[in-house]
Amino acid sequence: MSQRYQRHPDLRLADVEGDGVVLHLGTRRYFSVTESGLILMQALETPRSVADLVQLLLERYEVTQAEAETSIRQFLDTCRTAELLVVADEG
Amino acid sequence: MPSTSIAVRCNDPAVKTALESWLAALTLDAPAGLALDVAVTTAALTEPTPGETVFTQPDVRFTRGPGGRGVALFWEAAPAMAEVPAAQATAAVRLSPAAVERLELCTRTFLMVVLIMLLRRVRWYHLHAATAIDPQGRGWLIAGNAHAGKSTTAALLAASGWRVGTDDAAFLARGSNRIIVHTCRAPIALRDGGYRLLARQGGVDLPGRAKVGYWPEDLGGVWTPLVDPQIVIFTAVGEDRTTAQPLDRRGALTELVRWSAWVMLEPDVAQSHLDVLSGLTAQARTFRVRLGRDLFAQPNRLIELTT
Repeated sequence: MSQRYQRHPDLRLADVEGDGVVLHLGTRRYFSVTESGLILMQALETPRSVADLVQLLLERYEVTQAEAETSIRQFLDTCRTAELLVVADEG
Repeated sequence: MPSTSIAVRCNDPAVKTALESWLAALTLDAPAGLALDVAVTTAALTEPTPGETVFTQPDVRFTRGPGGRGVALFWEAAPAMAEVPAAQATAAVRLSPAAVERLELCTRTFLMVVLIMLLRRVRWYHLHAATAIDPQGRGWLIAGNAHAGKSTTAALLAASGWRVGTDDAAFLARGSNRIIVHTCRAPIALRDGGYRLLARQGGVDLPGRAKVGYWPEDLGGVWTPLVDPQIVIFTAVGEDRTTAQPLDRRGALTELVRWSAWVMLEPDVAQSHLDVLSGLTAQARTFRVRLGRDLFAQPNRLIELTT
């Protein structure tokens, strides 16, 4: 069983030429995100496991499995710190 | 009396007339159908608890509206309340007799905020920005905080033949295929420093604000109610020389979020508001500008720096 994550329901996203801006209506903070961060945030509209997110990076970018896993771990850590994610369920 | 597109209903004829005059003087060409439903009442107006408060600004506290949607506002200076429900075009306002006694202050610091919330129901989104149209016909937004030089710049540009809409309160809305900006008609309000730097005679003291007000016409300019923004600058007051640094869209959008902070307030309209801000970054060139004293000799240096 692996945890699945979903973006916080208080988030709103804007796509600006590939990059993004994320608003958190609950904490009243806003963030700018890179292209890959925006792709992941968009994907997290529905529940995703770590494996799902790693696969997404592998499909979109020329990266190794290890690089993708490291990137996703860092991304999730950052998102958890900023309260951008909720745990959706145990997939 | 000039007409206004925003209806006022009120149980006190004198207050109704005063509020209609206030709205008419704003000359805000808002879509039809909006209304202020105002009751002057001696009933106690209950102040929200700190736990209920979701947003504050000087003298005004915001809570969630009925059913957790929309907004409710409480004026602390003298009791007054307003509810602006989600997806409704009417704001329900209750004024205490004490608020009526201070109606000028109430309109300026409380009912203006109610109006800003009401305009969100027709997808008009407030931005702290001055607006202007340069001699080549290009629309400008000058965004920033209360000490970012917006008013002094607006006055300077009006004195240089630009058309000026507002020095502070711009309303962004979707036009047919562009973001356009509507403005209220209000005097350009200069603090003492800006007043001295502008070195112009005239103006009127703005009561209770420690500022001097100029209409664009007082300065040789023309008022414009509508601007199609092609250039957006985010200003701060610098030293001698004005400088401009281009911003990418992501940087510009984060600046716009900062100066259009109501985007965070209501989940129901936050995405629409954010999309309008994002649309503005797609159509306009954006810069971070430090305003220098050289602008007083060369106001059109703003054009040179951004073209």
